[in-house]
Amino acid sequence: MSNQKEEKLHATNHYLYYPDEEDIPPYLAYGFRPIFLLLAPYFILSMALWGLVWSGYLSIPFIDNVLQWHIYEMLFGVLTAGVMAFLTTGLPELFPGMVPLVGKRLKYIMILWIAGRVSFWLIDITGVYLTAILNLTMLAWLIWFAKDVVLDKLQRHASLGYTLVVIFAVEVWFFASVLGWSESNSMSILRVALGAIVVLILLAMRRVNMEAVNELMEDKEIDDIYISHPPLTNLAIFAVTLYTIVGYFYPTNSALGWIALASGASIIAITSDYNLKDKFILNQPYVIYLFWIFMLFGLGYGLIGWSILFNDANGVSSFRHFITAGGLGLAYLMVMITIGWIHTGRHLTSNIYTHFMVFFIVLATFMRGLIPFFEEYSTQLYLWSAIAWVLPFVLYIKVFFRFLLTPRIDGIKG
Amino acid sequence: MKFFLKILKDFPAYLWSGWGAVASILLFIAFWDVGNQIYGNLVLPSPLETFKTLYAMLHSKDILEQIDITLYRASVGFGLSLLFGSVLGLIAGFFATASMMSRPIVTILVGMPPIAWIVLAMIWFGMGDETVIFTVVVASFPIIFVGALQGTRTLDGELKEMADSFAFPWHMKFIDVYFPHIFSYIFPAWVSGLGMAWKIVIMAELLATSDGMGAELAIARSQLDTPTALALVTIMIGSLMFIEYIILEPIKREVELWRV
Repeated sequence: MSNQKEEKLHATNHYLYYPDEEDIPPYLAYGFRPIFLLLAPYFILSMALWGLVWSGYLSIPFIDNVLQWHIYEMLFGVLTAGVMAFLTTGLPELFPGMVPLVGKRLKYIMILWIAGRVSFWLIDITGVYLTAILNLTMLAWLIWFAKDVVLDKLQRHASLGYTLVVIFAVEVWFFASVLGWSESNSMSILRVALGAIVVLILLAMRRVNMEAVNELMEDKEIDDIYISHPPLTNLAIFAVTLYTIVGYFYPTNSALGWIALASGASIIAITSDYNLKDKFILNQPYVIYLFWIFMLFGLGYGLIGWSILFNDANGVSSFRHFITAGGLGLAYLMVMITIGWIHTGRHLTSNIYTHFMVFFIVLATFMRGLIPFFEEYSTQLYLWSAIAWVLPFVLYIKVFFRFLLTPRIDGIKG
Repeated sequence: MKFFLKILKDFPAYLWSGWGAVASILLFIAFWDVGNQIYGNLVLPSPLETFKTLYAMLHSKDILEQIDITLYRASVGFGLSLLFGSVLGLIAGFFATASMMSRPIVTILVGMPPIAWIVLAMIWFGMGDETVIFTVVVASFPIIFVGALQGTRTLDGELKEMADSFAFPWHMKFIDVYFPHIFSYIFPAWVSGLGMAWKIVIMAELLATSDGMGAELAIARSQLDTPTALALVTIMIGSLMFIEYIILEPIKREVELWRV
């Protein structure tokens, strides 16, 4: 018995208890399934809609500031889905006593997320209040769901919970400024939100990295252990937080440029953990994929720092796409791929599809981010980078949807 | 040979692990920039301006000549201390009497402020290369001497006995038993001796010569040319960091691997 329990605590077995609800369809059998089934098409759909909005074919007025709402949705709208997948899949694993969220309850939460998206796109008709209430409720529910993390006596993963609370406060602040309750500039608030989200991703990536890389090495019988060292992540979080706070108050100050360069270097420093003592693992596909998340974040902050030092405001906003479309986009994609394999009872596999998914995100990021260097081709680059960015999610639908729509192949529930 | 290949093989990973250090240096530069914004350009020029000055300096032939002069003095001084410090220290370490005797003398040498040595050297040798080189030797010799002395003093007697009982040939005894131990003491001493030499050479030049980087620094001071002064400081720190972290540290890591 004790042996069995020990085995169940192992990372790939996920939970101690599974709810005994009857007739749960496969797509509601575990938290990540409905989210990924919706998120991949939503990325494609929303990029298409934005393309039509930007090129003027479709007129969605978005109150008065299309750019502001574009940023809002790409940050907060997508974030809640990503965080939900991460928490509902990861928490029962980190805290084995926790009951996974499945079936009807999962369905209601998904409906709340969908309602949030619909209310967003119809914001001009339904009003800011409805969007605010639906989206804030979604994030508040996620924090409620993650309360065990914060209340945990050992505080092992509490930083995730605290960061979520900060992100919630920033979202409230954003809506307050849109509704005129706060004097702050809502674009500046969105930049603060980006900083908080990068911190959250860095914290989450430390856990994803540990699980994915060690699982991979176990699979390939590489006899070594990968440890993502907290001091490196903490240094990066410190630098990014400093950048975000100073950037809010002094967005063009030269000291901010240096802090941005420091943030870039500190994020790239995280990758030095991939250098194991005995074995070389940087030739393993998943390690390369994950490596690129940090490289894109690092390049983004570094190039932004450079632009601030040389007073190039245009560069700053273009290079920010290394962080958003690049780092965040690839982080979401990697979470989708990794969970898509492991938690449907499969081995973490790399193939031509996964290679292409990562390649296209990186390619799209460079195309979008480097527009300041190729101004004469900017129209083509806008279009092609958007297409290249969407392709991975098309491939995701092709490869992973059948996994998400069928039960786990190893017979375990979930 | 195998040893150097291993250092080369580990070098890229070692270099990549430096990003964290780069980040903290950049944060320090941000702090410097804030200082510039508070106190103004005359007191503390901005990092960007300093680096621009530095860039211009590195493209001027005159400055490169001065760097050359300073490098010559530092390397001759350090080379002499390295040679005599290591040899004399090793010998002293083998004889208890010699090490007992040398202790207080080393204390005197270390305790005497370098600035006092410079004054004496200026009287003895006049204003020129010899003064600077002498000061460098006097400052870094004791450090290396003590390192070498400690290395031989602390040799493990049991290891020696073991080597004897296995009847190792003398060269094997030296390379595999004594050398790693002594080297792990003497090498860090070389590194600190080098750091000392590089600092002292600038100070001696500033006071005692009319050429070299120290003299350039004196000129920058008299003209209140803070960007040039800071650019010179950047060259000094940059070159020291290059030697210490790019060249010496990888060797040190490899040498001290047996300790863990």
